[in-house]
Amino acid sequence: MRVRKYALLLVLVAVSLLLLTLQSRGYGSRAGDLVAAVTTPLQAGYARVTRGALAVWTTYRDWKNVRAENRRLRAEIERLRVEALRVSETDDENRRLRTLLALQERLPLTTLAGEIIAREWGGWVRALTVNRGRADRVARMTAVISPFGLVGRIVDVRPGSAIVQVLTDPASTVGAHVVRTRTPGIVEGEPRGTIRFKYLARDGAALQVGDVLVTSGQGGLFPRGIPIGRVRAIDDRGAALFNYAALDPAVDFGRVDEVLVVTGRSPQDLTAYFLTGG
Amino acid sequence: MRTLLALTVVGGGVAHATLAPTLRVAGVTPDLPLIVVVLLALRRGPEFGCVAGFVAGLLQDAAGGGLLGVQALTKALIGFAIGAAGGRLAVTQPLVQVPGLVLLTVAEALVRFALLKLFRFPAPLGELLAWVVLPQALYNGFLGAALVLALSWIESIRARSA
Repeated sequence: MRVRKYALLLVLVAVSLLLLTLQSRGYGSRAGDLVAAVTTPLQAGYARVTRGALAVWTTYRDWKNVRAENRRLRAEIERLRVEALRVSETDDENRRLRTLLALQERLPLTTLAGEIIAREWGGWVRALTVNRGRADRVARMTAVISPFGLVGRIVDVRPGSAIVQVLTDPASTVGAHVVRTRTPGIVEGEPRGTIRFKYLARDGAALQVGDVLVTSGQGGLFPRGIPIGRVRAIDDRGAALFNYAALDPAVDFGRVDEVLVVTGRSPQDLTAYFLTGG
Repeated sequence: MRTLLALTVVGGGVAHATLAPTLRVAGVTPDLPLIVVVLLALRRGPEFGCVAGFVAGLLQDAAGGGLLGVQALTKALIGFAIGAAGGRLAVTQPLVQVPGLVLLTVAEALVRFALLKLFRFPAPLGELLAWVVLPQALYNGFLGAALVLALSWIESIRARSA
């Protein structure tokens, strides 16, 4: 019994190490696909239930405010409020989708609309799962955007879904420049869930709070000119080679529900196509 | 019973990606699968804890799009260790549950960090501990203790009605 216990532990440790070794040699996607085949439909179901539960909670809170009124009126108001909430929810969703569609039509490159079905927000990894995958011909390292700017890049593609590494992920780096001064640098994610701009001190003397940063397009991963964020504070490190600027992201990653996956390419600067551009 | 336990482990792993963000407090989310694994390991022993940890960790790895096997390994080890030590721990006391889960979360994070470092994980340990691990460890501690208390309360009500 005792031997069986330790044998089981050894087997599981060996399987984990084997998985890690296979992935480090580039054979990991098949195992990921198998797990995703089980998790993707479950995640989609959970997402629906969670959103439903939150809507019920919001409705309940509104109900509490009309307690003092008489029962008949209260019942009427409750019914109307539930209906109004439903309408306003639909309205909000329509507005968001219309903005997304408008951006999709405006942009001079091909994109694919997708819905966020899960979020991994632990801090080690900050990722979103989008319901577009290999079946939609989505490729790794594809940019993912919202009407406000860059959300991140796709780091893993499964048959019916893809994992988006968000800009705030500690392993995320994106080439960027400041729109006003053209100062080049790199936007990095930080473990605390924020992003910062790293630039050569000699290039960034004119940087100001409020400056807008966009993707530089260097390296060909992201199209040029997608908004990333605004400078919130400048961390001048004196004689150091690099200085840093804390940024307010252009996109609220915690609340983004619909995104566009950029499937095409464009040499054009896209700054003017976004809501916060310039 | 086994099906129910399997559903708990799979459900815990999948729910982490969808439910945990809604439990976010000041940017900190709990590690639901870790709590589920610890609770199951305490009740069912090291073998079950080990398998539950492996499955829940694997699902978390898949949900995050990172390296498959990192959390499967760390959570299998945690499940085994807690299952093996379960009989010797006075886990009904909140004064044991909270620091216990805090220490477990930190231990799991350190093993995970060491493994990820082998694959060139870029974040520094100090910042991760300060901004991610310790806040999450505290959250896990209090949430886990609340769950243990809720479970024992439900069991006492059941016993009384039976």
